[in-house]
Amino acid sequence: MSNQLTTNRRTFLKLSGTAGGGLILGFNLYGCATLPSDPLFTALEINAFILINGDGTAIIRAKNPDIGQGVKTSLPMILAEELDLPWEKVIVEQAELDSRMGSQFAGGSTGVKTNYDNLRKAGAAVRDVLVRAAANQWNVPITEIKTEDGFVISGRKKLHYGHLAEAAAQLEVNENPPLKDPQDFKIIGKSKSDVDLQKIVTGQPLFGLDQEIDGMVYATVLKPDVFGAKLRSFDATEALKIEGIIDVFEIEGMDNPTRMVDGVAIVADKLWTAFKAKKLVKANWSNPRGYIASNRQLMADFKKGINAKGEVLREDGNVDSEFRSNNNQIEATYDVPFVSHSQMEPMNFIADVRENEIDLTGPTQTPGSAAGLANMITGIPRENIKVKFTRIGGGFGRRLGNDYASEAVFISHKLKRPVKLVWNRENDFLGDYYRPAGCYHFKAAMEGSKLTALDVNICTTSRYLYRGSSPAHGTEAFPDQQPAGMVPNFRIAYTPLLTNIPVGALRTPGMNATTFAYQCFMDELAQNAGKDPIDFQLEMIGEEDRDMPYSDHGGPSYNTTRLRGVINRVRQESGWDQPAKDGVSRGFAGQMVFGTYVACVVDVRNANGKIKVDQVHIAADCGRVINPIGAEAQIQGGVTDAISAALYESLELDRGKPKAQNFDQYQKLRMKDSPDVHVHLTDSNEQPQGLGEPSYPILFPALVNAVSRSIGKRVRELPLKKHGLV
Amino acid sequence: MANFSIDVNGESRQVNVDPDTPMLWVLRDELNLKGTKFGCGIAQCGACTIHLNGEAVRSCSTPISAIGNASITTIEGLSENGSHPVQEAWMEEDVPQCGYCQAGQIMSASAMLSKIPNPTEADIHQNMSGNICRCGTYPRIKKAIMRAAEKGGNNE
Ligand code: FES
Ligand code: FES
Repeated sequence: MSNQLTTNRRTFLKLSGTAGGGLILGFNLYGCATLPSDPLFTALEINAFILINGDGTAIIRAKNPDIGQGVKTSLPMILAEELDLPWEKVIVEQAELDSRMGSQFAGGSTGVKTNYDNLRKAGAAVRDVLVRAAANQWNVPITEIKTEDGFVISGRKKLHYGHLAEAAAQLEVNENPPLKDPQDFKIIGKSKSDVDLQKIVTGQPLFGLDQEIDGMVYATVLKPDVFGAKLRSFDATEALKIEGIIDVFEIEGMDNPTRMVDGVAIVADKLWTAFKAKKLVKANWSNPRGYIASNRQLMADFKKGINAKGEVLREDGNVDSEFRSNNNQIEATYDVPFVSHSQMEPMNFIADVRENEIDLTGPTQTPGSAAGLANMITGIPRENIKVKFTRIGGGFGRRLGNDYASEAVFISHKLKRPVKLVWNRENDFLGDYYRPAGCYHFKAAMEGSKLTALDVNICTTSRYLYRGSSPAHGTEAFPDQQPAGMVPNFRIAYTPLLTNIPVGALRTPGMNATTFAYQCFMDELAQNAGKDPIDFQLEMIGEEDRDMPYSDHGGPSYNTTRLRGVINRVRQESGWDQPAKDGVSRGFAGQMVFGTYVACVVDVRNANGKIKVDQVHIAADCGRVINPIGAEAQIQGGVTDAISAALYESLELDRGKPKAQNFDQYQKLRMKDSPDVHVHLTDSNEQPQGLGEPSYPILFPALVNAVSRSIGKRVRELPLKKHGLV
Repeated sequence: MANFSIDVNGESRQVNVDPDTPMLWVLRDELNLKGTKFGCGIAQCGACTIHLNGEAVRSCSTPISAIGNASITTIEGLSENGSHPVQEAWMEEDVPQCGYCQAGQIMSASAMLSKIPNPTEADIHQNMSGNICRCGTYPRIKKAIMRAAEKGGNNE
């Protein structure tokens, strides 16, 4: 009955359209004719996010995909807080793609930051209609009504939300409902374990790979082992002889390589059969444009790139004249490699393309764009395309693109039956969109311990150029990144490089490379000036309380007091000013990353030239913390992930082919090398910021600065494995 | 194709598959036990870890033809409702991030604790380093194992 109701209201909404305000709060229509008469009704939808049950509990929809960053828990916490319903009475459900919810995606550490205000309002608006429903029923003024523990109370009158839901659903929504005073928060700021915790530890089918639909067949793909190669021809004679094989056919890539690339689809009744048959398919590929045969060739291209006259992105003072008059100059070049996402759950997607409808199910960070691609491939209108998104076994930016969802759609469209597409790990390495490789050249002039000029030249394999969008520098170079604005003469120039290596966003895109280079170079300058690295940076930041203009993600400005706050905190917590333990060397880095302030101290040991990471201290100020236990996990995870990349990870090419196509060759951090990570969160009432990414970039320079100190030589290229240090 | 009768989570199950089919796909796609995960297919990541007569093995690299009479335990059969001390410790420490590797981690940890009830850090390093966690939950995994050990994690 109530489900029926929900459907009716949805349909009506579609027909009547929505007002802008209603959309923001996720509300649909009020004044419905039919309402549940059964007191045990379930799921009466008050707005897109909150459904009240007859027993006074509520279903709260988690709007965004959860890739392990915890938004399936933290975003509903915000709604529950303002709804004023105890967390124990909340049942969290994953939302589907639903235009009333605003944009639904996982990326840029924006989940909490961009939804905080709206979700507070959406939760408060539901509480508000419940209170008004009670006021009407009891005939008392709103001012004499309060909510507590999921009840609406006035004097001795008391009803739970289930009692009032029907009446509330018929009231007009207040678009500016009263919000709680943050001092009264009962849920926000208190640790809540992941809502899927029990299901995860008991092995319930939460992930894309675990889904099935009726009548589906399995597909996998054969990919070229040179990135971007075009399919010339293929021979599937042997593969087709295998029992259970249904079809083998070409997948035509789309004109934009981020949407879908060439391959051969292998379809079978069982996945294992498809995997086996794939080995028997012979394919002919042509070499692509921008072909890079080896890492050495790439390095040579980078050297050309940083010597070219790049596009100047920012210029303060006069760098050239300072260099003419000041001979105390220091130069250094830093290199970062291509890095694989290697998320644990391999790419997979389910597509059911029918006559004029599509159902999509799978792990995607951008469900809306998966629907868009399905529309481009099939011509079936967007409104007939449904997307269910699952819990995701790691995103890290890989699933911002939906090339694998496109493949599932293409195959199902061609076969006219439902298909579950699954890549194996080798596909994943051959089909990844790697963290762009880049080269960073710095030239500085110093007067004593003061930095008087800094000239930065950056060349990277721009992911913007790769996908054909502009400007090419996008998030490859950040004109306002610290110490810009703190140096009187400053210039930054950028040159993009186009290669055949697919590139995409990886945890703190761009920032994870520039932060390494900048913060290592700052350490070099400090050392050169005979200064403590923390003192050196604090002096540069200055003692004034300043808002530094910042035009990129995390802006429009960042605050120097908050930056100093995390630096001083980590200094104190790590015991920086006490002598290090025997055999331990330390490194430091501190910066604002995507709106969150982070500062890090890493301890390393050096055993006969091999580096062991001993422990990490990291201080972070992300404004108000929604879920402390989740916040700590994100910071620890980012740091641990970065240690893996710093120690081991790079794409190595052999005649254009990746040498590593699985975890036997592509090394990842394991338990035995994973250090303790001590997290120090700032207690703050500032607007909340994201946490899925900011700890990641700051680890690289802190670690490498410690290593350079430990071995007595500057390391300027990642990973450490390349230098025989692990 | 061939018929096999195998003992999974205390029940006898019949399947008809190619003899070279890895147990991973038998469990997932024939028996609909999706808790055991696919990560690498070459015994490098541990996502597919199950117990074979109580020993942790990688199901992606164990063909069904090699099972014989051995008894198999998967994450679904480790306990009713997650009451195994290792699962409980995992919940108390809120270990998972994405959660994808965790079934394998739990299966490796529970197999270790059944042999080494009070593991040292070195034991943990040795027994848990076959399992990759891409999200970096190692610090909490270590804590959870210690917690389970204190409570007597060898509940098998
Ligand atoms: S899937 Fe078996 S060890 Fe990786
Ligand atoms: S929790 Fe994501 S891989 Fe371990």
